[in-house]
Amino acid sequence: MDPLTLGLIVAFTTIAVLFSGVAVASGLLIVAAIFLVAFDGARSLELIPEILFGKLDNFALLSIPMFILMGASIASTRAGADLYEALHRWLTRVPGGLVISNLGACALFAAMSGSSPATCAAIGKMGIPEMRKRNYPDGVATGSIAAGGTLGILIPPSVTMIVYGVATETSIGRLFLAGVIPGLLLVGLFMAWSIYSTWKSGAGDALSAQSYSWKEKLEVLPRVLPFLAVIAGVLFALYGGVATPSETAAVGALLCLLLAIVIYRMTDMKALWTMLRDTTKESVMILFIIAAAGVFSYMLSSLYITQAIAEWIGTLDVNRWVLMAYVNLFLIVAGFFLPPVAVILMAAPILMPIILGAGFDPYWFAVILTINMEIGLISPPVGLNLYVINGIAPDIPLKTILKGSAPYVACMVLAIIILSIFPSLATWLPDLLMGPAIS
Amino acid sequence: MNQAIRAVNLLSRVTGVIAALMIVAAVAITCQMIFLRYFLNASTVWQTEIVVYLMIASTLLGLPYVQQLKGHVNVDLVPLMLPPVPRKLLLILSLLAGAIVLGIMAFYGGEITYLAFSKNWTSDTVTAVPLWIPYISMPIGFGLFTLQLLVDMHRLIKTPAVEINIEIGGH
Repeated sequence: MDPLTLGLIVAFTTIAVLFSGVAVASGLLIVAAIFLVAFDGARSLELIPEILFGKLDNFALLSIPMFILMGASIASTRAGADLYEALHRWLTRVPGGLVISNLGACALFAAMSGSSPATCAAIGKMGIPEMRKRNYPDGVATGSIAAGGTLGILIPPSVTMIVYGVATETSIGRLFLAGVIPGLLLVGLFMAWSIYSTWKSGAGDALSAQSYSWKEKLEVLPRVLPFLAVIAGVLFALYGGVATPSETAAVGALLCLLLAIVIYRMTDMKALWTMLRDTTKESVMILFIIAAAGVFSYMLSSLYITQAIAEWIGTLDVNRWVLMAYVNLFLIVAGFFLPPVAVILMAAPILMPIILGAGFDPYWFAVILTINMEIGLISPPVGLNLYVINGIAPDIPLKTILKGSAPYVACMVLAIIILSIFPSLATWLPDLLMGPAIS
Repeated sequence: MNQAIRAVNLLSRVTGVIAALMIVAAVAITCQMIFLRYFLNASTVWQTEIVVYLMIASTLLGLPYVQQLKGHVNVDLVPLMLPPVPRKLLLILSLLAGAIVLGIMAFYGGEITYLAFSKNWTSDTVTAVPLWIPYISMPIGFGLFTLQLLVDMHRLIKTPAVEINIEIGGH
């Protein structure tokens, strides 16, 4: 059979199997097994466990459980609340200070955790009730946190970037740096929209200043010091030549664990186990998807589907930006349904040669891809962050949260357009700190 | 039957705890390695390989426990839209299909572990780890995961269709 036709059949089968409600990783293994048996014979089943083991046998992946442990231990403490409180007291003089401090806290928290739902939950628990008390519209209160939470996968450390680095054999340290300025750009856009929308809804009084005395402002500072110390420690380990990005994750995890136990007095065995259990749950889930997606892409390339698609796209005579628009459309649709790591691992081997062939920078593309995944996190039907918010503020209907987060999706699309016009926003910082990429 | 189900649930929890401790061990060993290398200028030999094996084993041994916690993400859009009876059938089918494929993986994972053991395969590094040790997490992890999927399927079959909480599926 022509590999392209076969590719279409695989695509439809994958969609049908994944939509049946089977776990994503098991679904990928089922599809891979069916097609390997049908086209390579039953003996190919023997190879699957070895391929799966081989996909996991990668030192870079080690950072995933560790960054998850880092985020989970910080999320199980009051650190998020302290950070939020400090920014709030210092920024109240600024119009719209509350929503600015919420988004700022999301961005800073994202710098400690590679996970979007964790960021959303940690800041939202404090931020959403506070914003509603101060008359911010429900849509802004929930939408800003849902969107701010997605920064978790763009601002380093980011699990998504690690997976991209592993799948495309690009430098993880460079990928992390590439996410910094686009992350700040997104924060800026989110802030601008939040303030404009609050002002326009007539809740302008919510934006007015509320004052805290200097004593109140200063007494909160020591509580964010440990947080900043951990960030400084991690950055030093990463860019001071102490450790590779994967090893840095271990330093970060150890520092956060110590922070939780020593500073925040989390000595209760039950609380420690809950945190460890959540870490294991997320880490196993993500690594199993990575391993299964590895088997899936082995199947695609062993049946020449990957190669055929890349060749076929190569023969299409389209403008590179038209091509990029199609790639974005594909990523957004895939991101609506599948978790980011699954999309990256399935799409990267097919997309990478196309992206490089069209003259795009792989680090710039990592940022574009990640923003696309962020859109999926706050869009129906499976937008994870929307459900986290729904759990925090159950009395706000999901419809209001959806309406509230839609403009933030528009901000992300705008960010993709800005980054397409000025690609150096993503590539400037890594080039400055690490020298130009060798590729 | 009930005893078998209880045994599977218990074993899944035990391997889950082992998986969690392996993550902690990997963190500790990695930090020890960085400390030795950066502060004492010592060379490190075995750590890199061992921590990767710990991570792999933690993932494979953690599979049944995460299934028990309903922690494997799925797309539940279609099951949610279906009427109760077809939904129940679809969820049973998806658990069964998962169990079949993972059962096959447990079998071949066991075969490669046996091969590695009987032929004394070792990793091609200085440490020369006997490969059956990391490999054995495949038959154990996949095997117990298969049993846990069957236990969940059994519970699903016994639950009346209208009472099925969507979480029981592959979630």
